[in-house]
Amino acid sequence: MNWNKLIMILAGSLCTGFLSAGTVKAGALEDIVKSGELRVAVQTQGPPVSFIDKNGERTGFAIEVVKLMAADIGVEPVFLDYDWKGLIPAVQGGKADFLAADMTPNAKRTLVLSFTEPYLYSDVVLYAKKDKPFDAWQDACAAGFSIGVVQGSSNVGLLKDKCPEAEIKEFAGGGAAVAQAVAADRVDAGINDQAAAAGYMIEYPDFHILEGAPKRWPLSFGTRPDETHLLRWLDNYFMLIRNDGRLDELADYWMRGPAWKADH
Amino acid sequence: MISAISSALPFLLDGLWMTFKISLATIFFGSLLGAMVGTVRASPLRSLSFVLGLYIHALRGTPFLIHLYAVYFMLPATGVAWLQFDAITASIIALSLYTSTYVAEVVRAALEAVPRGQVEAARSVGMSTLQTLRHVVVPQALKLMIPPMGGVYVIIIKGTSIVSVVGVSELVRAGEQAAQRDPSHMLVIYGLVALMYLAYCYPVLRIVRWLETRFGAGVTINI
Amino acid sequence: MCPARIAAPGVIMKVPANMDWLVDIYNFRVVAQFAPDLVRGLVATIWISALALSIALVVGTLTAFARLETRAGDRIGATYVQVIRSTPLLVQIYLIYFALPELPLLGRRLDEFECGMLALGLNAGAYMSEIIRSGIEAVPRGQVEGAKSVGMSYVQRMRYVVLPQAISKVVPPLLGQTAILVKDSSLVSFIGVFELFSAGLAILSERLMPNEAFMTLAACYLFIYAILLFLATQAQRRLGGAQ
Repeated sequence: MNWNKLIMILAGSLCTGFLSAGTVKAGALEDIVKSGELRVAVQTQGPPVSFIDKNGERTGFAIEVVKLMAADIGVEPVFLDYDWKGLIPAVQGGKADFLAADMTPNAKRTLVLSFTEPYLYSDVVLYAKKDKPFDAWQDACAAGFSIGVVQGSSNVGLLKDKCPEAEIKEFAGGGAAVAQAVAADRVDAGINDQAAAAGYMIEYPDFHILEGAPKRWPLSFGTRPDETHLLRWLDNYFMLIRNDGRLDELADYWMRGPAWKADH
Repeated sequence: MISAISSALPFLLDGLWMTFKISLATIFFGSLLGAMVGTVRASPLRSLSFVLGLYIHALRGTPFLIHLYAVYFMLPATGVAWLQFDAITASIIALSLYTSTYVAEVVRAALEAVPRGQVEAARSVGMSTLQTLRHVVVPQALKLMIPPMGGVYVIIIKGTSIVSVVGVSELVRAGEQAAQRDPSHMLVIYGLVALMYLAYCYPVLRIVRWLETRFGAGVTINI
Repeated sequence: MCPARIAAPGVIMKVPANMDWLVDIYNFRVVAQFAPDLVRGLVATIWISALALSIALVVGTLTAFARLETRAGDRIGATYVQVIRSTPLLVQIYLIYFALPELPLLGRRLDEFECGMLALGLNAGAYMSEIIRSGIEAVPRGQVEGAKSVGMSYVQRMRYVVLPQAISKVVPPLLGQTAILVKDSSLVSFIGVFELFSAGLAILSERLMPNEAFMTLAACYLFIYAILLFLATQAQRRLGGAQ
């Protein structure tokens, strides 16, 4: 019957149609000004960088930097919240103008996205329960110990490089799941950025931060590689708020101590 | 612990409400689409049924996260205007497609479970195809569908948790965010999340059991 | 001495010029660099699924029979099934992983892999017990009565009358449930178990290539699914049961 053939051809062409899909171009800086909306892809990975506070407000260091930015150019910030798996496609596919997460640039990642100059450097630390035999972070790297890390974060590669002896356990449930794993003695130590770890120290009185920092990560925003104007503009903006002291104010409040805890 | 519960509860209730809305929309559209696909699969249209079989297997053989990725990120990349969905619409579409594969198999199994002899008898007393469906096949098939359909719905309710990837704040996402603020009470918060799913799913399963005692066990399907 | 360590590049494939169109949408050269991890993940997923399946079959069968044979068994079995079906698997995994104390028999806590396997097995067991129960119930009551009246014992009735019919009915849906189990096994990455899904996501986190990551994962899971589907059709043909 000819119908059979026709349906097969239709189905086949439908499949190839999807495969040959290109990418759309949208949301250059000019569009931001025209539409009055700054669409930013964020990840709710936890305090103090990006989280939902006790009043249900989206806030955190990266978020407040974006809010400041939007206010300065008189546009509305629109936060598009994704799991880390959704961040990259959101920027590539034009859902968002840029991504404001604590993603760290490296040689391979910058092949795909363009990253701004770092607006802040953040120390990575290891933390553990006080009853573990650790003083410095290197102690937790010895053979026979295990370290918990957030799946997909740059710290995975860091651990593989710096602590090849230790057992590395990646948790898909984020920083809170790693802290819980440390508390439940499922891993001997956890790794996260200094500011997040400082938060855990308040939540878990029997934790302490191990001495030293295996790495200092640059924090950058990322754009599609063809958005050079936007990228330059972001770099300029960071320079401006660094010079007038507003960036430091925000960093002091959010990243260099528990001041934010009282309000959020 | 009490304060952990009371501070997390409002967020979790918001999440539950979102889960409820998305799952209802999904159950509606997924069942509609599934009923159509299942009817075609049970019909003598061999080639169409084969293509729909591929559709069902492709969706069932891959994790749902990948469907969501395709609907939310890849379809807009085609540049077609009406394929640009927001996160909630994309979630409902992807979940409905996924649901339809299960519903289709339930519908097909139920339609095929009605004995052929009855259809032939109905035709021989002069009923048209439509009349046969309306008066003989569908009433019996519906009864057979009810119990497995309840199971499918409960799977869908829990399946909604994956849409948090595109930023929809449903119940699991709300629990995750509450746990970020209060990591030391993570288990309490996830326990509450489980209780809320239980409060939503358990009545569905109870109703199904009650219907099962009224109408019989229904069909078992390859889910 | 060379101051910077240079990471081994892994497998680097040369791309023939006439394959450029494919590389545009799916850069298999990059995916090939992840091939060893993907294979390791695929094996881990199959392995944990197979072990969880054995647990699920044992638990499912025991629950099904307990529910059919005794009142108390029905109560307990029904509660187990309803609770498992009504709560998300991720929460079950977290509870077993974080809240389960030392087991007296082992003298230690279960490790990540064992917790994941147990949670998956108990979860699938609930669904499978329902399939097995309905398979047994589908055997007409009259046949069992008949077998009783010709003096068959309980074991004989099961062996010669009930099971041969029930098995042909339940094998296809059990394989369908196994397909779900395989996909669900990706959730064990939440407690740090390395499996196929985490292996595929490394393409996204390390290279920021979502298309490559998700398409590769889709293909790998479809591969496992195709095997299960093949087994299901074979089983259906051999056992000649359920149309």
